[in-house]
Amino acid sequence: MSIDSVTAALAPVEIDIRGLSKWFGAHQVLKEMSTEVRLGEAVVVIGPSGSGKTTFLRCINLLEQFEQGEIRIGGEAMGYLVDPQTGRRTRRTERDIARMRAQVGMVFQSFNLFPHMTALKNVALGPVRVNGMRRDEAEALAASLLARVGLADKVDAVPGQLSGGQQQRVAIARALAMRPKAILLDEVTSALDPELVGEVLDVMRQLVQDGMTMVIVTHEMAFARAFAHKVLFMADGELIEHGPPAQLFGDPKTARLQAFLKRFKEGYQL
Amino acid sequence: MFDILIASFPLLMRGVWITLLLTGSGAIVATIFGVVIACAQLFGGIVLRIAAEAYLYIVRGVPLLVLLFAMYYALPYAGVDLDPMSGGALVIGLYFAAFMAEVFRGAILAVPNGQWEAGRTIGLRTPRIVTDIILPQALRVAGPPYINTVIMLVKGTSLVSIIGLADVTFVGRQIVERTLAPFEVFGGVAVIYFVICFALSRCGAYLERRTSYVH
Repeated sequence: MSIDSVTAALAPVEIDIRGLSKWFGAHQVLKEMSTEVRLGEAVVVIGPSGSGKTTFLRCINLLEQFEQGEIRIGGEAMGYLVDPQTGRRTRRTERDIARMRAQVGMVFQSFNLFPHMTALKNVALGPVRVNGMRRDEAEALAASLLARVGLADKVDAVPGQLSGGQQQRVAIARALAMRPKAILLDEVTSALDPELVGEVLDVMRQLVQDGMTMVIVTHEMAFARAFAHKVLFMADGELIEHGPPAQLFGDPKTARLQAFLKRFKEGYQL
Repeated sequence: MFDILIASFPLLMRGVWITLLLTGSGAIVATIFGVVIACAQLFGGIVLRIAAEAYLYIVRGVPLLVLLFAMYYALPYAGVDLDPMSGGALVIGLYFAAFMAEVFRGAILAVPNGQWEAGRTIGLRTPRIVTDIILPQALRVAGPPYINTVIMLVKGTSLVSIIGLADVTFVGRQIVERTLAPFEVFGGVAVIYFVICFALSRCGAYLERRTSYVH
């Protein structure tokens, strides 16, 4: 275990997930998931398609509702409050939910930049509208964040003029602009041409090294292996195995993880 | 043959003025009420949604002419007596609002769901997402079908001649009755409508070019 992960293990819990269950109709897509993400930790979620990785991630900022369990961000319950006496569960007010969402950044597979705004305005919108920052301050912040992801010369470009990799880096800057407690990344390289994946992974690696708390759903096993502090393996909506990457990739305990990793290796050798 | 047209030009222009006035006020009513109906359908509770849907079905299923007659002949019995101009503009506006509502609703639904989600993840709430993110994109989508509906509205205004408003169609008919030159006069009236609609189409095309995201 590196010194890094020892300090990470002592850091306070930033996202605490207990007994998370979700159904789409009669189909249970998340089954009693429990895990925690500590301050400064990069947690990578892997698993076959349809295993519920993305749904899990989307529950954390309530883009998906969940029926059971609890998600706490910085100690505060996300989405629902449970009456300790009656056990009745009520949805929090939209105001509270919006306030908490602002504390958790999200980057999507399909970028979802605002096509009618320049890169600078995409990034500055949240700070101005949600955090009440002055427009000039917010734009200065946006410009510095765009420079940080290597797009200092693209501040005035609209998304349609940018490559996929550049758009995704703008999206990361947009998430960072809210100064979030954590960032969720949902297969952020999956929609990119192979030669553009590297530039986005570079930015992600930089964020890990800067100590940003992150939950990352990805198929980039090499990235997970090299930079994750903790890896979660999900299948059929269940958390099957978790631990440091060396353990999961080097010495998988369950048959399902072994089979999953084997398929991946074969895929690469084709 | 142009003598008659030249002689009746001032009269026809008075008719054009009424037509444009009806078009303008009708379009304003249609736009505002269309937005209201579209919002009721998309964001309203169950009662508002049903009311909006019912309105759409009724209005789309009844001819504009019948609605104009109803306003002109039936409403006075109910104690509502509108002068033909405001009554006509109101009926035309409320009628085309049903078509406008579909234009706006379709345009808002055409904005990908990911845009809503991106807005939510930075902590924006629904009204702000609508004004800052969804509407600016939806209005671009709505542009061409909106202009199309306004063009239908321009032509719809010709029906008000039935309730005694001196629009360009009404004036044309009067001139024909006096001059017995239907070919020239109605030809001229047709050209006038064509010019108004063509100008609107060109404005629409220009706006579409101006507001595209990438130049």
